[in-house]
Amino acid sequence: MEESPLHPFELHEWIPISLGGFDISVNKAVVMMWVVVALAAVFMVIAGSARKLVPGKLQSIAELMVDFIRSMILDTMGKEGMRFFPLIATLFLFILFCNLIGLIPGSYTVTSQIIVTAVFSCVVYGISLVMGFLIHGIKFLGILVPPGTPGWLLPLMIPIELMSQLARPISLAVRLFANMTAGHVILGVLFGMAISGGLLIGWLPFAFTVAIYGLEVGIAFIQAYIFTILTCVYIGDAFHLHGHDKHAH
Amino acid sequence: MPQFESHFFSSLIFWEIVSFAILLFVLYKFAFPGILSVLEEREKKIKDSLDQAERHRSEAERKLMEYEAKLNMAAKEAEGVLNAAKERAQRLMEENEQRMTIEAERIKGDATREIDHERRKAIQDIRAQTTDLVLMVAEKVVQRSLNEADHRKFADEALEALSKSYQR
Repeated sequence: MEESPLHPFELHEWIPISLGGFDISVNKAVVMMWVVVALAAVFMVIAGSARKLVPGKLQSIAELMVDFIRSMILDTMGKEGMRFFPLIATLFLFILFCNLIGLIPGSYTVTSQIIVTAVFSCVVYGISLVMGFLIHGIKFLGILVPPGTPGWLLPLMIPIELMSQLARPISLAVRLFANMTAGHVILGVLFGMAISGGLLIGWLPFAFTVAIYGLEVGIAFIQAYIFTILTCVYIGDAFHLHGHDKHAH
Repeated sequence: MPQFESHFFSSLIFWEIVSFAILLFVLYKFAFPGILSVLEEREKKIKDSLDQAERHRSEAERKLMEYEAKLNMAAKEAEGVLNAAKERAQRLMEENEQRMTIEAERIKGDATREIDHERRKAIQDIRAQTTDLVLMVAEKVVQRSLNEADHRKFADEALEALSKSYQR
């Protein structure tokens, strides 16, 4: 009997816990979050503790990531965006480690849960709204009116811009979730074909799983990067109202 | 899809926020400051080194220009000295030549005058001696004494003939 390709995404309660009426039971995804936090923290703290001017391998990797995120923030938000560096860097590392650890067979991809990505995207979008209103006050509503819009177009432009704004958190959440899910589904389907195909023809889908697996490693990085850079862009938009061109989604 | 089972949402949200907060705290406290400070320190060091290199380069350029200017000046000076020496040598040579010419002219003139003088003197001597000789001969030949005036007359005649033959 063949396994459903969506089977790996199923969760089962391991330790039932309830907090004030809320169910906060521990399941596989929760344990993977702990693993992610532990690995990311240990890696970054150890790599960051070697403060050599000429870095070793571990220090180089950590510095590469930190510098990568820093230049991303400086490019999209400017110097004042560095206030958000800890948040954005942690977001990047969390998502990256979730994506990468999820690729280990038998583990669980936390970011393939829509609710996980939705929480991140809502937090990011919420920060951008709060920052926007804090900095610009009521003028921040001007984000709904692109510069140069003639007055008679306003009734049309405002609903369109409102929709594009609302699409931001949704697309941010769905993009990461869908990419992670799709990659694992494809791998699952190909593995299923490899097993049911037997030796005679099964090697072909198996060869594909190897290639797709490599691709998935790349996608793990790329999706973490995309999530992070869009976070920078959205929060940056709150800083510079109409200061930057809208980035393509 | 199993991901849309809302049964697990509350626990996932809770643990996601807790995990993320813990990671944020740990990284914020123990990892980022160190890494960022190292990055900044390295950036500063590289910038300083580049600045220093640039300073050295411009200084070297300045020195080179200085030396070139000095070299040019020295070359010009040398040329000036050489030209002056050449001019002086030329002048000295010309002066010498002039002086030599004048000296030579003078020597030549002196010599000519002396030769002339000696010649005249020789002619006079010859003339006087010849007169005496002729007188003596004439006296012997004629065997008679003539008066002084006759003597002179004969002598002059003979002298005239002699000088004519001499001139030829």
